[in-house]
Amino acid sequence: MTKRITVFVLLMFFAFHPASHAIDLGGIAKHLDTLKSVVGATAKATRPISDEEEYYLGRAVAARILGNYPLSNDKDLMKYVNLIGKAVSLSSDKPFTYGGYHFAVLETDEINAFACPGGIIFVTEGMVDTATNEEELAAVLAHEIAHINKRDGIAAIKSSRWTEALAVIGTEAVRQYSSSDVARLVTIFEGSIDDVFKTLVVNGYSRSQEFAADESALQYLARSGYNPESLDAFLKRLAGRGRPSGGGITATHPETADRIDNITGKLPSVSIDPQSIQARTARFMEVREQTR
Amino acid sequence: MKSRTAAIILIILLAPVLVFAEQATVITKENAVREYCRFFAPVVAPVRYKDLLDIVSPQGDWFKVRYKAAEGCIHKTAIEKRTASFSGTTLPGKGTGAVSESEAALAGKGFNPQVEVSYRKKYPAMRYSLVDDIERDKVSEKEVALFIAGGGLNQP
Repeated sequence: MTKRITVFVLLMFFAFHPASHAIDLGGIAKHLDTLKSVVGATAKATRPISDEEEYYLGRAVAARILGNYPLSNDKDLMKYVNLIGKAVSLSSDKPFTYGGYHFAVLETDEINAFACPGGIIFVTEGMVDTATNEEELAAVLAHEIAHINKRDGIAAIKSSRWTEALAVIGTEAVRQYSSSDVARLVTIFEGSIDDVFKTLVVNGYSRSQEFAADESALQYLARSGYNPESLDAFLKRLAGRGRPSGGGITATHPETADRIDNITGKLPSVSIDPQSIQARTARFMEVREQTR
Repeated sequence: MKSRTAAIILIILLAPVLVFAEQATVITKENAVREYCRFFAPVVAPVRYKDLLDIVSPQGDWFKVRYKAAEGCIHKTAIEKRTASFSGTTLPGKGTGAVSESEAALAGKGFNPQVEVSYRKKYPAMRYSLVDDIERDKVSEKEVALFIAGGGLNQP
């Protein structure tokens, strides 16, 4: 009995002690990892998805959106939107994703924004035109960043696809797949892209997802130094315009008025320096003037 | 009885090693170990996906880590902590709505570059080149820091 316990303790020591790699016992840990991953993947009915997979899905969704909307070639506007988005993302719950955050502008009058899984976020020129200052544009981006933080796009994928994917990857511990496995995964990949695309562009997120994204956006804005009231102001302007056609932020299940009601009383109290707001508004106007 | 007591003592002695022998895997394509625990702190060592780091201690939303000869900080959402436990890995940066279980266990599995290549071959009209352009057009860390300062925003 003692012998067994001692062997077990020594195994634990060598397998998990950092120095074990140095004395070439990393192989044991590696095998344990592989075993653990196969067992783990097989045990789960609804398969987990890694940030890396989310990234590849997001790229495909972005490519599909770019098939529907042309990309703006206004480099200054793109850079400006990226700078605002990056500033907000650093104050979000997940400042780092596998491929990072990237923001781009779509050349359309439609008032819309889309958050592709993994970190690519689109806003339309119509959306930029609707914003009256940098705070409001930051509010739109904060809302989309919240959808990425919460993996709302991924949640749109039917669970049956994960079960199907599990059948392919659950038994496969290596990185390279056979051609038939790849063909099956591509089919599942396509279906998953469809699910996410439909939610982003056609149906919109659920009411609770939108409310939660707004609430998180308020926090991100406050943390980053933007005025959280800008989300309220922007939503009120959207509500005043009525419900436009198209998906994304404007075609969500809750009416904009409900979203305003939801955030009422939830605005974080922050001290805002009027001079800083002035400086931000000035650079917003400058970029917008250039784009017109 | 004596030998059982000895074994228990051995386990107790080894327990701190098991608790503190923590490592973490980088789960972003690229990242950096920084001199101190702030986003724009100087980089002491660039790291890449799946690099293995030794955790020294947690520091708020950051971890103090060792990577090769370098010691510094990395944000909790850039790594997946691997604890010396049979109960599985823990995910420090994935509190809300995450479905991920273990990035390390799933690395390269499922939807990976191989699947994307096949998908692109099947649908050559997909606008992947534009996606690549978007990813390439990065704003530098310095530009973001200047933008934050210029607009009187909070230093993250």
